Amino acid sequence: MEGDVVSVQPAGVAKVVARLTQSSLGLKALVAVTGLGLVAFAFVHMAGHLQMFALLGGQEGYNQYAHKLQSLGALKWAARAGLLALTLVHVIATLKLIARNRSARPIGYASNHWLTASVASQTMRVTGPILLFFIIYHLLHFTALVVSAQGYEAMEYMLRDGSNLVVGDAYGRMVQAFRDPLLTVVYVLAVGLLGVHLAHGISSLFQTLGLTNSTYRPALATAGPLLAGLLTAGFAVVPLAILTGVIQ
Amino acid sequence: MNLTLKVWRQKNAQAAGAFVDYAMSDVSPDMSFLEMLDGLNETLQAKGQEPVAFDHDCREGICGTCSLVINGIPHGPDRATTTCQLHMRKFKAGDVITIEPWRAAPFAVIRDLVVDRGAFERIQRRGGFVSVGTGHAPDANAMAIPKRQADLAMDAAQCIGCGACVAACKNASAMLFVGAKVSQYAHLPQGQPERFRRVLAMVEQHDAEGFGACTNYQECEAVCPKEISVRVIGEMNRDYLRAVLVGVE
Ligand code: HEM
Ligand code: FES
Repeated sequence: MEGDVVSVQPAGVAKVVARLTQSSLGLKALVAVTGLGLVAFAFVHMAGHLQMFALLGGQEGYNQYAHKLQSLGALKWAARAGLLALTLVHVIATLKLIARNRSARPIGYASNHWLTASVASQTMRVTGPILLFFIIYHLLHFTALVVSAQGYEAMEYMLRDGSNLVVGDAYGRMVQAFRDPLLTVVYVLAVGLLGVHLAHGISSLFQTLGLTNSTYRPALATAGPLLAGLLTAGFAVVPLAILTGVIQ
Repeated sequence: MNLTLKVWRQKNAQAAGAFVDYAMSDVSPDMSFLEMLDGLNETLQAKGQEPVAFDHDCREGICGTCSLVINGIPHGPDRATTTCQLHMRKFKAGDVITIEPWRAAPFAVIRDLVVDRGAFERIQRRGGFVSVGTGHAPDANAMAIPKRQADLAMDAAQCIGCGACVAACKNASAMLFVGAKVSQYAHLPQGQPERFRRVLAMVEQHDAEGFGACTNYQECEAVCPKEISVRVIGEMNRDYLRAVLVGVE
């Protein structure tokens, strides 16, 4: 600020990248933007699953939808690469922040008080890594078909859209998976933890990105947990419907 | 009333510190917390022992010098109150009161409960001011400022720089402090020319000092004796990202 106070010089791209990847606020913005991207994906993913219900698609509708996604070719791989990048940046930025925060308080207090922080915010570092493990497990299960996936490979379905194509029976695999109470519990717990992560995450990202003010802040504080709850409910309802025989 | 104090004693930044217990008797509920500590120090000195070092100046809740984490809460159990304005009537006979210094890597302990808050000073020097030409003071009201903007600026300017936000933050982040200093100028016309350079420079200094990053726990707002709202952090975040993305040097 010394000297010339009014002129503002343009910073190079390298400086922009350095600030985003090194500064506390830049890293936090990366966590928030990638978190937002993952939230957007999660909502689309959840809505896709609702087609498991007979009313919204059933076996034919769901398998057509799954087949359409699988036939996207290069676009499918671009989407997968994008999701991987979002996750990696989210986790790496988070780890850098946690390291910074740890070294900012080498000596703790005799008594550790929390005054107002929500349980969801206090446990981001616990729910986050559990989600990472769950996501890996989930990909090995339904995408790679290598874990808890006995017989999945053989489950096939002929589309009745006139094409008579024989495709993998995504619907049947899901039904088989969630007739198992143990798998249902694992998945429902996981999407529950996702809801807890996002109960803080969604409200928090607006603050992190500065997309709030005194007028919107109270509304956003409510909208975060509400949307997170909606997402969890939307995900959990499908396995529960299968376990209880509503979806067969 | 009778109380037990567990006070952090530490000779200097290098020495290892430890809690020392002191039994206090006949503490009046009308005493301020610092008067109670004055009493302890008189007793210690009478016995030829080192008094407990703690920071204080105005004792009116306006200077930001006093500190102390009391039973795990910066400035003690009363909301919107500095330690110097805290009274012993908030405690009960027989209470054990733990007294610790602000804990953060950039706030080195100088002695006992006194920490070095020079980091705040260095952050201020990077942008906690507006550069104006000297000359006559301008006429009052020569520059019209909407009431709402003036209020937002004044609310942020309440910050007395005590450091309780850092002490309360689980990440030892000073974002409430920096946010207040950024926000108080961002709402005023005088703050505009340096607006984006200010936020970049102050955040850079914040990070260089070794403070943590904000997780939006909002613990800082809960302990702030001046009730600075975390909305200043949101405003700082927005200005910072605008400055970074637009590419301000
Ligand atoms: C893959 C494993 C994940 C890990 C290890 C993880 C970890 C974390 C952590 C530790 C934070 C808090 C950062 C801080 O404020 O200091 C965080 C924030 C956040 N996470 Fe995750 N997370 C994961 C997955 C996800 C997923 C799948 C989503 C969305 C569906 C998500 C959305 C968010 C959001 C929105 C935030 C808030 C950003 C902010 O505070 O501004 N995370 N994550
Ligand atoms: S001594 Fe000045 S605010 Fe407490």
